[in-house]
Amino acid sequence: MKSNLLRGAALALCLGAPALPALAQDAGDTVKIGVVAAESGAFVSAGHTLPAGVGLAVKQINDAGGINVGGKNYKLEMVKRDDRTDIATAIAATQELVRDEKVAAIFGSESHDFTLAMAKITQPAKIMHFAGNSTLGKVLTPEAVKAGGENHYLFQSEPQEFQRSGSTARGVLSLLEPLLGAKPKKSVLVVGNDATGQFLSSFYITALKAEGQDVPDIIFYPPETTDFSPFLTKAKSFEPDVIHFWYNGDSTLTALPQALELGAAKSYFLFGVDPGIWKERGLTADVPVAMSCVPICWGASSNPNSKPYFDAYFAAGAPHGVTSSVSLLYHDYVHFLAKAWEKAGTFDPDKTVEALMSMKYSGVVSDQLAFNETHQVTHATEVCAAAPGGDITCSMQQPPEKAPE
Amino acid sequence: MITSFSSLRSLVPVLIVLALLALVPLMGPSNRFLSLAISAGINIIALYGLSVLFGQTGILSMGHAALVGVGAYTAALLARDFDIGFWFSIPVAGIMAAVVAAVIGIPSLRVSGHHFVIMTFAFGQLLTIVLTNGGEYTGAASGLDMSKPVTLLGSDIGDLQNFYLLVIAFVTISAVASWAIINSSYGRTLRAIRENEKLAAAIGINVGRHKIGAFVVSGVFAGVSGVLLAYFLRHISPGQFASFPSIYLALMVMIGGARLLLGPLAGGILVSFLPEVLNLDPVQSRILYGVCLIAVILFLPNGLIAGLADGWSKLMGASRRRAVTASAVSEAGQ
Repeated sequence: MKSNLLRGAALALCLGAPALPALAQDAGDTVKIGVVAAESGAFVSAGHTLPAGVGLAVKQINDAGGINVGGKNYKLEMVKRDDRTDIATAIAATQELVRDEKVAAIFGSESHDFTLAMAKITQPAKIMHFAGNSTLGKVLTPEAVKAGGENHYLFQSEPQEFQRSGSTARGVLSLLEPLLGAKPKKSVLVVGNDATGQFLSSFYITALKAEGQDVPDIIFYPPETTDFSPFLTKAKSFEPDVIHFWYNGDSTLTALPQALELGAAKSYFLFGVDPGIWKERGLTADVPVAMSCVPICWGASSNPNSKPYFDAYFAAGAPHGVTSSVSLLYHDYVHFLAKAWEKAGTFDPDKTVEALMSMKYSGVVSDQLAFNETHQVTHATEVCAAAPGGDITCSMQQPPEKAPE
Repeated sequence: MITSFSSLRSLVPVLIVLALLALVPLMGPSNRFLSLAISAGINIIALYGLSVLFGQTGILSMGHAALVGVGAYTAALLARDFDIGFWFSIPVAGIMAAVVAAVIGIPSLRVSGHHFVIMTFAFGQLLTIVLTNGGEYTGAASGLDMSKPVTLLGSDIGDLQNFYLLVIAFVTISAVASWAIINSSYGRTLRAIRENEKLAAAIGINVGRHKIGAFVVSGVFAGVSGVLLAYFLRHISPGQFASFPSIYLALMVMIGGARLLLGPLAGGILVSFLPEVLNLDPVQSRILYGVCLIAVILFLPNGLIAGLADGWSKLMGASRRRAVTASAVSEAGQ
C-alpha cells in the first residue's frame, strides 16, 4: 500500500505538474515592442539589463505622451519573454512575439548565438531587430543589410568591435600609465573561450598592438572556470605589465583575487566590471586595476548623462549589477526607434529603416548616435581605473576611425 | 524479422498518440507551443536511439548530444560547402554520426558501466572543444549558419506548422524503427546482453560487437535528429551539443522510460514542457528534474510509462479480483 502511494506521488509529481495553467497576456491598443532576454539561467547578469533598459525607455516615452506616427498617437507596450538562457526557448519566444504577439520590433538577445538564430525569424518577417552584440559584425555585411538583403532590419546597438576594442585599449593604457609611473609595454590577455570571447579578443589584441603593446599570448579559459591558477601562472610567466581579463564580468571578479594572490602582473584590466560594483563590494588591490563598462559606467563616470540615467534606472527597480550599463545598448535605441517611426510617419519596416539610417539621435551614451551603412553605431567606451589607494578616475577615449591592420 | 501480431500491440498506442499529435495544428496552437513542440520532437528522435542503447542493451551514454551535433554540423557543412539540401543530408548525417559512434564505441565499449558513461561524457566535451577551436571550417565558437530551407517537391516547407508535421513524421519513423529493432532477433540479442553479459557470451553472442552495433544504431537516430535541429534553428554552435544537453537527453529517457515505446515520447514531452507550463527558471527546473529522477529511480525504475502500465494492470487485476470475490459471495448467499 505504502509502495503504491509512493508510486502515485512520483507519478503525480512528474505528470500532474503540466496540468497547471500558464498565465496569459492581453494585447492592448498599442505598439508592441518585444524583448527576448535571459532573465534566468547562466546569462542572467547581462540578460536582466535588457528588459530593464527597454522598460525604462518605454515608460519615459509613454509618460511623455507616447509617439505620434502619421498624425495618430500611440503608446508603447513592452512584451518581454525570458529565454532561460536556452536557445530552444529563445526561438519559441521569438516565434511567439513575431507571429502571435505581432510586435513591431524586437530587442535581444544578449547572446550572440541566440541573436543569430532569432534573426532567422525576425528578418524574413520584416521585424525591426536590435541587439547589442558586436559579434553581429560578421553578418551585417553591405550585401546583407541592403534593401532585400537577409538582414535588412537587423541593427547592432554596440559599436563595431575594432572601435570598442580600440577605445577600450586607449582608455586602459592612458589611465594605467600614471598609476604605474611608466607606460605599460607588455600585456597578456586572459579570455573566456566561447564565441564572444574568441571574437572580442581577436580585435582587442590588434588594438593593443596598435597602441604599441607587446602581447606575447592570449590565454583562453573554459567559460565555467572557477580555479584560474593554471591560466594565471602561465600569464605570470610572461612578466606582463597588464593582464587583461575578458569578457564575463562575473568570471573576471572570480579571477582577480586569485591573480592578486599570485602577484601575476603589475596591473590588471577587468572588462565589463562597473566601478560601482568595485565600490559596493569594498574591493581593493595593491596594484592599479582598470575596469570598463559597456558603454558607460554607473559607479563613477566622466559622462554627465550617466547619473540621471542610472538614478532613473535603479529607481525603476533594476538591481545594481556588474553589467547594468549594458541596458544602455537598448534604452537609447528604443527612443531612437520611436523617433524614426515618428519621422517615417508609419510603422512600415522599410520606411523605418530609411528613417533610422537618415537620423542622428542624442542619447545618454552619445549625442551623435547614428547607424553606419552596415547598421552599426559608433561611440566611445568608458574606462575607469582604481588606484591602490582607492581613488577612481574615468575616461572616454574616442575609438579609431579605421580598423588597425 | 517481426515476430508476431502481439508485438504490434506495443506500437499501436504510440501510433495513436502520434496521430493525435499530428492533429495539434488543427487546434490552432500558439507559435510558441509549436516551436517548443518541434524542439521536443527533435529530441524524441534522438531519444528513440538512446532507448535502443539504454533500454535494450543497458548502456547509458552521457555524450549523446555530441552525436546530435555530428549530424547537425554534417548538415550545415554539406549545405555550405556542397550545396546539399535537407533530404540528402539525412542519410549522410545518419551515417556520419554512426561512424563517429563506432569510432567512439570501439575503445569505449572495452570498458563497461560507469567507465563507459564517463568516456561518452568525455567525448561530448571533446567534440565541443574541437568545434570551438575548429576555426573558419566549423565556425569556431560562433558556429555555423544554415542558409538552406527544407524543401519538399521543390517548394520551401517554411511554415512552422509544416515543420512540426515533418518532425512528427520523423518521430513516427523513429518509433517504428525502434519497435522493429525491439521485436527483431537483434533486439532479443541486445536484451540478452542487457540481462546477463556473461551468459550471453557463453551462448555464443559476440557481446562487444553487438554493444558497438547498438551504439552505432543509436548514432543514426542522433544524426537524423541533428539534421532537423540544424534546419529548425538555422544556426548551430558548439554549446548546443555540450554536456548539459547530453544530460538532459539521458534524463528524458530515464524519466519517460527506455524499455517501452511510449517512454521516449513521454520523457521528451515532459522534460521539454515542464519549465514552460510551470514557468520555472533553469535552477527550479533542474531541482524538479532531480527530484523526479530520484523519485523515478526509487519507485518507477523502468520509467513513468512502465510505472503507469504497471499501476493500470494492478488496478485492473484488483478490480477483477473484487468482481470475482463479489460474484463468489453472491453465489454463496444464494
